Amino acid sequence: MSAKPETAPYRAAFAPADSFAEKRREAFARFETLGFPTRRDEAWRFTNLRPLQDKAFAPAAGKPGTTPTLDPYFFAGETHRVVLVNGRFAPTLSKIDRLPQGVTLGAAAEIAGNNPSLASRLLDQTDLAGGQAFASLNAALFADGFVLALEPGVALETPVEIIHWGEAVDSSFHLRNLIQLGAGSRATIIESYAGSGRYWTNAVAVVDLGAGAALLHAKLQDEASDAIHFGQVRARIPADARYESFVLTLGGRLSRHDSFATFAGEQATCGLFGAYLLKGEQEATNATFVDHAVPKCTTDEVFKGVVDERAHGVFLGKITVRPQAQKTNANQLNKNLLLSARANVDTKPELEILADDVKCSHGATVGDLDESAMFYLAARGIPADEARRMLIEAFAADAIDRLEDAPALRVHLLAHVRRWLGRKD
Amino acid sequence: MLEIKNLHAKIAEGREILKGIDLAVKAGEVHAIMGPNGSGKSTLAGVLSGKPGYEVTEGSVTYLGKDLLALAADERAREGVFLAFQYPVEIPGVNNMYFLRAALNATRRQRGQPDLDAGQFLKAVRAKLKELEIGEDLLQRNVNVGFSGGEKKRNEIFQMAMLEPKLALLDETDSGLDIDALRIVSKGVNAQRAPDRAIIMITHYQRLLDYIEPDHVHVLSGGKIVMSGDKSLATELEKRGYAMLGDAAA
Repeated sequence: MSAKPETAPYRAAFAPADSFAEKRREAFARFETLGFPTRRDEAWRFTNLRPLQDKAFAPAAGKPGTTPTLDPYFFAGETHRVVLVNGRFAPTLSKIDRLPQGVTLGAAAEIAGNNPSLASRLLDQTDLAGGQAFASLNAALFADGFVLALEPGVALETPVEIIHWGEAVDSSFHLRNLIQLGAGSRATIIESYAGSGRYWTNAVAVVDLGAGAALLHAKLQDEASDAIHFGQVRARIPADARYESFVLTLGGRLSRHDSFATFAGEQATCGLFGAYLLKGEQEATNATFVDHAVPKCTTDEVFKGVVDERAHGVFLGKITVRPQAQKTNANQLNKNLLLSARANVDTKPELEILADDVKCSHGATVGDLDESAMFYLAARGIPADEARRMLIEAFAADAIDRLEDAPALRVHLLAHVRRWLGRKD
Repeated sequence: MLEIKNLHAKIAEGREILKGIDLAVKAGEVHAIMGPNGSGKSTLAGVLSGKPGYEVTEGSVTYLGKDLLALAADERAREGVFLAFQYPVEIPGVNNMYFLRAALNATRRQRGQPDLDAGQFLKAVRAKLKELEIGEDLLQRNVNVGFSGGEKKRNEIFQMAMLEPKLALLDETDSGLDIDALRIVSKGVNAQRAPDRAIIMITHYQRLLDYIEPDHVHVLSGGKIVMSGDKSLATELEKRGYAMLGDAAA
């Protein structure tokens, strides 16, 4: 098959020379064959790819000369910190000198480059279903990313903080990240994506959990207002393991986050939570694909959207319960607040249930701010704009509060919601 | 303090409910407005508090020398008008104390007073809660969410005590209360009677007036005040029922 025309500008930038070269060539060939998704692809039918088609974003050549201001993204309290600038590890901005025994954390290119087993994990899953074109392009072009690897039985109490900063004109950053938790280990990781200018972030994270491992994975997408952000997480959840994620979408002109979760053992749980707060001309998609391939697993999903001005929010939620996946428990909810007549939301919660002994629910709502609540607040003297912020915050907090065991993370995420709302409090 | 003249109002794009209300309320007075269902009691409370959905077609309302109807609901509240809701609204996700502190500070700013910090606020709150026999667990809960009927009404009176309004409108505050709750709520209201504060109680039943004694009683019927008198009027109404209004109600 011949290469799709939109892939041509990326061919010029493709010159694999490192130890991943062979995998990269395969991936690039896949990308050329696939081309960008179109609206005929069900999973991409609400995502407007125009900004990406109008302009080619060549991979960034290096880091900017300036030092980014990262303070707004720092997590309060002690963390192990990795900073990546323009898709490359920034050692002077990172802080990984106090890692406990059994914990590997740092630049993906370096760590996986020296460890064939991690390297195969990092690049192994590029051709899973859905969004493969960008995952393939990512595999072909990634400069770096992070790796967090825990040996079995390690409980990493201090959160790991990853800050991705992008600053380059009309360039792309392809980040390849790997989180690998050995059996029975656990960790909390908080990723933030931010930057300045018009760029494209294309990130893929592979989450590889051992039996009984538990990962709490938060992501703040606060990219520059002209930026494009695509992020994919591919998680494999074996027996007794828990994968819990929260995706807070605030930034970017066009953004999309895809979570793919596959159960690989019984009694495993998956919590996919998120909130998107959009205004201006922002377009953001949150898509989740959960595959109940084995019995007795639980999925909990709550995404809340706040869409103002001319913004467009999309939620796609697909849960598949295979015939053998009896005793599945899966709940999915997407609620949206439309704050302007020109804002719009597309929501498509979807359950495909092929087993008969399961408990599943799904639902979606789109509505306005509660008028009676607005009047109640007004009747107590609270000005309308403040009342509005209180109700929006409460609406988003309902999703954040699902992170029951992570009070500090809840505070962190809520602070970013408040920042979005323009509040100093 | 409050002067209502020939007030006509209708439900937006609907029929006329208030058909010429005249009422004057002085500081320090407690007025009861009674009336059968559909007489316009709730509309009057709504129009005075600035609730959306009503349209004033004629007449005026002057509050402390200002045109009350020209003010938005939140401005009225900051100017000292307080509505105790018949059905207090549940607001999931908004903490009671966070809400009340925002309300109190908005009002304090209006009065040129500095904001209360969290510590000062908590101290003031605890004192009032004790006075009103309300448990401190109220502090942790979301606004009215999961409250019993009695708790909701007590929360209204607690908010009133914190916000120290000049004019309080109590809309069917007795509805849904058992005798014990009614006693506590009434005690809270009575404690707030003051020479510089006026209270208007809107109620269907005379029962509330046994606990909070009004200076004046008005009977609202068919969108007009058809009778006014002292508290003996309420007693008479209780004996004879709203049927005594006879033709006046038509």
